[in-house]
Amino acid sequence: MEQLLVPMICRIDKMIQETPDVRTYRLKFKEEGLMEKFRWMPGQFVEFSLLGSGECTFCISSSSTRKGYFDCSIKKAGLVTADIHRLLDEGDYVGIRGPFGNWFPLDEIKGKNLLFVGGGIGLAPLRALIQYCIDNRNDYKDFTILYGARTSADLCYKDEIKEWQENPLLKVILTIDKPEEAWPTNVGVVPKILEEVVKPVIENTKVITCGPPIMIKYTIQSLKKLGFADPDIITTLEMRMQCGLGKCGRCNIGSTYVCKDGPVFTNEQLRGLPDEF
Amino acid sequence: MNVETFVTDKAGLVKFYEAIIANNETYAPVEKFGKFDFKRVLTLAECDPDSPITKTMSAKPLFFPRSAKILKYSADASGTDVKETDEDPLTGKRVILGMKHCDARGLQVLDKVYNWDYIDSDYQKRRQNSVIISSRCDKAETHCFCTSLDYDVENLDAMDVLIVHGLDGKIFIKARTEKGETFLKANPIDPASGIQHSASEEGMKKQYDAFAASFRLKMDYKNVNGKLSKIFDTPEFENVSASCIGCNTCAFICPTCHCFKISDEKIKDTGIRYKSYDSCNNGYFTLMAGGHNPRPVKYRRWRQRAMHKFVYYKERFGENLCVGCGRCAISCPVNISIFEVVNQVATTV
Repeated sequence: MEQLLVPMICRIDKMIQETPDVRTYRLKFKEEGLMEKFRWMPGQFVEFSLLGSGECTFCISSSSTRKGYFDCSIKKAGLVTADIHRLLDEGDYVGIRGPFGNWFPLDEIKGKNLLFVGGGIGLAPLRALIQYCIDNRNDYKDFTILYGARTSADLCYKDEIKEWQENPLLKVILTIDKPEEAWPTNVGVVPKILEEVVKPVIENTKVITCGPPIMIKYTIQSLKKLGFADPDIITTLEMRMQCGLGKCGRCNIGSTYVCKDGPVFTNEQLRGLPDEF
Repeated sequence: MNVETFVTDKAGLVKFYEAIIANNETYAPVEKFGKFDFKRVLTLAECDPDSPITKTMSAKPLFFPRSAKILKYSADASGTDVKETDEDPLTGKRVILGMKHCDARGLQVLDKVYNWDYIDSDYQKRRQNSVIISSRCDKAETHCFCTSLDYDVENLDAMDVLIVHGLDGKIFIKARTEKGETFLKANPIDPASGIQHSASEEGMKKQYDAFAASFRLKMDYKNVNGKLSKIFDTPEFENVSASCIGCNTCAFICPTCHCFKISDEKIKDTGIRYKSYDSCNNGYFTLMAGGHNPRPVKYRRWRQRAMHKFVYYKERFGENLCVGCGRCAISCPVNISIFEVVNQVATTV
């Protein structure tokens, strides 16, 4: 076990300040040849350690179709993430274990319309899948991204969103919670915009959503109201984890291990779990 | 397995123990401040293989250490380096004397989670290289309820060598696994003369019947398990957990609790990362950095503890995660007994 808990060393290749409290760390393995061997699927996560401060769970926010690096987008929220923001800089080293967990059901979403609904830092796991789907664009039909944040400053991946907006094969809808000067588009919380502006096609559509727990809750309610079936609503759960190996018992919801059976679940699966997440 | 039962007397058993301790790396219950904990022993005088169950800690730390070093690291201007620790991994060949039946059963239950998917190789080596010698208890103590659960205490194969103290002073020794059989060949017993194999079976049975009749606590396991799986939302969990002070003692001394945490200790540019015991009764156990906590109040944490032991683990791995040893109830500062908790909750349906 102890060997399984020893991380590999990665170098921070690039650090991108996404919002005042979110940074994306672009990582490469220190050991040569390891980066090529490191395989992950969109939706999987890693255990990221800042030695001396601790280990935290973050999803990989880039797709394996973009080769030679992987991204972790980290919001300053707790003790370890505060240390990460305070102490780490480009060229520094961190520990990585992984990848762990299941991934988005790539086979099931093939040939479907895709609707991504993200809120705040919740776009991070979706971004891995969005990049993957953009790189395999022919496998999918309509491609819609609805993304919201509290303020325009809190929108992550601003440069990448610009690229998505310029891509004629994608439809991108942005929203912020409260009105701001010079904000060109929607104002309102994500579920409201989903119902009033996006008005998605229900037939043959898979919805992938992630955001703060409260946003996921109301988004799922809106999706149900619009007529989406539970198996077509896919989300990724946030639970505290530590080992990632299905041993430490922290992420249990009933008899489910979120780190092994999740973090990606359909709403149908979530409804079978005790209400403890 | 059809193996010979060796019959001996008190003096023969002492000789058997002495030979084991002399010829093997042996761990056995050693007394300190009135409690027994498993330690490496060199003579029989240091330890008591038949220590009372109410005062004996679980031998779980020999397989899952209370605190294990994962790695050493150094991080300075010249770069970051991670090294393995020089801590003894406890994976050598050894004999464990005086482990109780419930405690040995606990290891069988833990095997399921440790050998699931990612295999914990250190744990596996510790298991493979340990010979477990266990005496059956003479009588049940106040909080014991092992015979009420989902396993067969009489024919338990969790120990490699079984010792039964017969009612008439005879002592029966029998291998329960192949490992135990090999061990008994290497560490033979002087058999007392003139005792028949059939008589020994009868003697062991009589001892078991007397033991089984001494239980104060009895539970209808199937009924409790079936009812608990349906009553996640009962308010009764609030009543049964009201007096809990969240000290986590129950989890730390439990033979089957296996939750752990990973923490760093830093001294300037170097440090050590530890893996140490944690408990779902700890308020911070599921607290996330953003402030969200799926189990923010005590009754929810107690519900997780009770349900994990009696429902979830059974669903996932087919075994009950409580072995009925009563250690948690003995040590609880506010007298909460898991036996009473699950029975009381089950009666609300």
